[in-house]
Amino acid sequence: MATSSRLLAVFIASALLPLSAQSIVSSDSRPGVPNNPTPGSIPEGALLVKGATSSASDSETALPESGSVSNNTYTNRYFGLSFPLPADWIQKSPGPPPSDSGRYGLTLLTPAPALKGLAGGSILITAQDMFFTPDPLTHASDLVDFTKSHLQGDYKIEQEPSDAHIAGQRFISFGYGSPSTGLHWRILATEIRCHTLEFVFMNRDPQTLDRLVREANAIDLDSAVSTLSGAAQDDVPVCIKAYASAGNVIERVDPLFTEHRYNPVPVRIIVGKDGRIRHIHFLNAFPDQSKAVTEALNHWKFKPYIRDGKPVEVETGIMFGSRAPRLAALSNPTSVAAPAR
Amino acid sequence: MNPWQVVSPAICGRRAAPSRLRGSISFKLRCGFAVFALLVAIGAASAQTDPGVRSSTGVNAGGPLPDLSTAAAKFFDNGETRFETPEVVSGGTNNGLGPRFNLNQCSTCHSQPAPGGSSPNINQYPFVSVNPESQVIKNGIAVSPPNSIPSFVLVNGPVREARFPFFIENGQVTKTADGGVHDLFTVQGRSDAGNCVLAPPNFAQAEQLNDIIFRIPTPVFGLGFMENIGETTLIDNFNSQIGNSFGISGAFNYNGNDGTISRFGWKAQNKSGLLFAGEAYNVEMGITNELFQNERPNPDEEHNFIGLPSSCLNLDGAGYPEDSTNFTATGPAIPSDIVAFGIFMRLLAQPTPQPQGYSTATTTVTAQSIARGLSGFTSVGCATCHTPTLETDPSSIDGDLSGKPANLYSDIEIHHMGGLADNVMQGTAGGDQFRTAPLWGVGQRIFFLHDGRAPDLLTAITDHCLPVATSGSEASQGSEACTVVTNFQNLPPTSGAANTVSQQDVLNFLRSL
Ligand code: HEC
Ligand code: HEC
Repeated sequence: MATSSRLLAVFIASALLPLSAQSIVSSDSRPGVPNNPTPGSIPEGALLVKGATSSASDSETALPESGSVSNNTYTNRYFGLSFPLPADWIQKSPGPPPSDSGRYGLTLLTPAPALKGLAGGSILITAQDMFFTPDPLTHASDLVDFTKSHLQGDYKIEQEPSDAHIAGQRFISFGYGSPSTGLHWRILATEIRCHTLEFVFMNRDPQTLDRLVREANAIDLDSAVSTLSGAAQDDVPVCIKAYASAGNVIERVDPLFTEHRYNPVPVRIIVGKDGRIRHIHFLNAFPDQSKAVTEALNHWKFKPYIRDGKPVEVETGIMFGSRAPRLAALSNPTSVAAPAR
Repeated sequence: MNPWQVVSPAICGRRAAPSRLRGSISFKLRCGFAVFALLVAIGAASAQTDPGVRSSTGVNAGGPLPDLSTAAAKFFDNGETRFETPEVVSGGTNNGLGPRFNLNQCSTCHSQPAPGGSSPNINQYPFVSVNPESQVIKNGIAVSPPNSIPSFVLVNGPVREARFPFFIENGQVTKTADGGVHDLFTVQGRSDAGNCVLAPPNFAQAEQLNDIIFRIPTPVFGLGFMENIGETTLIDNFNSQIGNSFGISGAFNYNGNDGTISRFGWKAQNKSGLLFAGEAYNVEMGITNELFQNERPNPDEEHNFIGLPSSCLNLDGAGYPEDSTNFTATGPAIPSDIVAFGIFMRLLAQPTPQPQGYSTATTTVTAQSIARGLSGFTSVGCATCHTPTLETDPSSIDGDLSGKPANLYSDIEIHHMGGLADNVMQGTAGGDQFRTAPLWGVGQRIFFLHDGRAPDLLTAITDHCLPVATSGSEASQGSEACTVVTNFQNLPPTSGAANTVSQQDVLNFLRSL
């Protein structure tokens, strides 16, 4: 596997400074450890063995995880978001799959490798589905407060959570830094479709950080989606936590789980104007679980949700399979001992 | 401009450049030039590098819990002896090896830096041995033919066991998931193995078909602490990760028997030390026992309803299980081997970190750098997965395990790791999910990550965020660790006069564990 570029590097380094060769070159040429036959990544074209994974009942309806970067813009139809990348930035990595606690790492952006001095920084766009957070955490402000009170390490608050207005939408702006490492973070958080959407800016250089945060004013939010958290418009449903409760569900059938798999199965549904379920999004489920839930939900019927005298679509979340996160744990977050120094 | 903004020589490394570029002439030129320019401009000292195995502080793992009672110490010693005893097929005092096996002794795979550890290397402290798997034919443990040393087992490489993600039939990879361990060797041809005729798997074919992945041994130090971290503690820790600014959100793997959180192995697929001992005895060494009573065929023999040939069964003539309780013995000799292994592992102390400083073969590291490294480790977000300390529940076994801090540097959750995926599913852990590897003892480890692909800590860290393979139209997804790795890469490679926390400090800190 030794590429000739590495051999060249070894050659040059060892010719000049024999003692430092080990520290300069990729260390698999360290004496005594020959190149492992590196198993490398799963070959292209191979089937992927996924565990619990995300899926949806149709491929047209937008999903939180289906945003992408093209033409230097991160676009996410679900959140009605388009975020122009700073000049010469790229997507370093797409996010991991949605988690069974409703967390999305949507995209990680960094300066293009060629330009990336070490002060390059990053922007992480992430979302938390607020239907699946433990109960006291309902709004973006709750989540930001939770983050603030659980900061690890030597972090110091640099900007208390405060209101900001971007793209016609209310954001919470919050900043902290770590004096020892000289890294600074700034978070812009807002609430869209009962998700807390966060833009996490990280940089060594406070001025660059400020500039990037300022440039975030170029975020474009589709007002039809974002002003939501209440007013359903056009084809964007209104989101209501715990809507699938006794008073609203007229007919229901429980899914038949034939295998106890222990994992929580968070499901987002959109209830149509007729009270039938129009769309199902599995954030995280095994195929047999999503099949069982789909079969059951096909039989559900809701009271139509009426707003201004007209039925509108509603989206809500249901947790199948397993427990909701424990509340007691949240009020007692300190059972983890601090690292020994 | 900061000095470290010079193009880093790491760009010439294995993965820094997109593969598309790596072979191109212009890249080679630029790459060589960058190294040259850097050496001339600022000298080699400013590149961050794994300091290597800590060697000045002795071996800091492998001893018993500090305050073990005399009675318990007898069981510990007895268990350790058994852990280090080679097994034969028949006619000796420790029989039952095979018919399929990877090696004949727990402690050869688990040997760095002491019995209970991981994969050794003869050239690195404490110079335990070459890869023992590479020596089985030379040492007469396996006979050639039919056995040979597979190409992925190297004298100076890591101990490896092999799994095939999918079954292979008629020279083709099928669409049926396998995922099981295919033992490297068989007992055929050994003088103590009767007329057993049994071919080892066709590893060359599996490699050619790209249908093989590897696992290296995980160390078992501090196992009793990990067993005794309560569910509530783990769940509280999980909940405290909500709202982290790194996009991290893990899950637990569960044990199918009692539905509690499982914790051992690269995917947290196993519940307890005893269970792992029983499984390892049968899977790694082919020795049936009170937990796994039947001789184990390789997965394809099981799948195809072939099983093992009768010529290879009950080779020592004593019946099954080959390891069981010794009714006529006394004291610590009474329990079966697997119970004794379990006791030994459970009573092993946690590795002792050396925050006061240390030397390796190539460098000396100060307490100041280690302290900076710890704060860097926490601030960039490593500690969000690698939870430094979790407290154990009350223990009925030993006071040393009771309500004590387990400094394991793991949340015992499984996380999506993007391009590290090995396409093997275990319990609820999918092909791209791995347990946050505990980092205690990492200061004296040689090979890193589940398949041993990383020969140093810097590679281990950057490999947390490998580019993600795409499969046809279906893109698999990224790693939960990418944001944290990026934070790490935003630290300067080395600390200047200002004593800022650097990547080097983090590496130095890791080698103090
Ligand atoms: C051929 C090498 C080999 C031999 C022999 C071997 N092991 Fe292992 N051991 C491994 C590998 C590889 C793993 C990691 C397996 C995985 O998770 O996929 C492992 C993992 C373990 C673990 C899990 C530790 C943790 O925290 O994850 C335990 C416990 C263990 N082995 C005990 C034993 C015992 C007891 C024996 C002897 C009966 C033994 N092993 C023999 C290779 C070996
Ligand atoms: C998203 C969770 C996560 C984060 C964040 C993370 N790790 Fe890990 N780490 C893992 C997992 C999972 C593995 C095992 C991966 C594998 O074996 O393929 C691992 C393995 C390792 C190993 C190899 C240990 C071994 O036994 O081989 C080291 C060293 C390590 N991590 C250090 C770090 C450092 C330093 C950071 C911060 C820069 C970090 N990790 C951040 C999850 C994480």
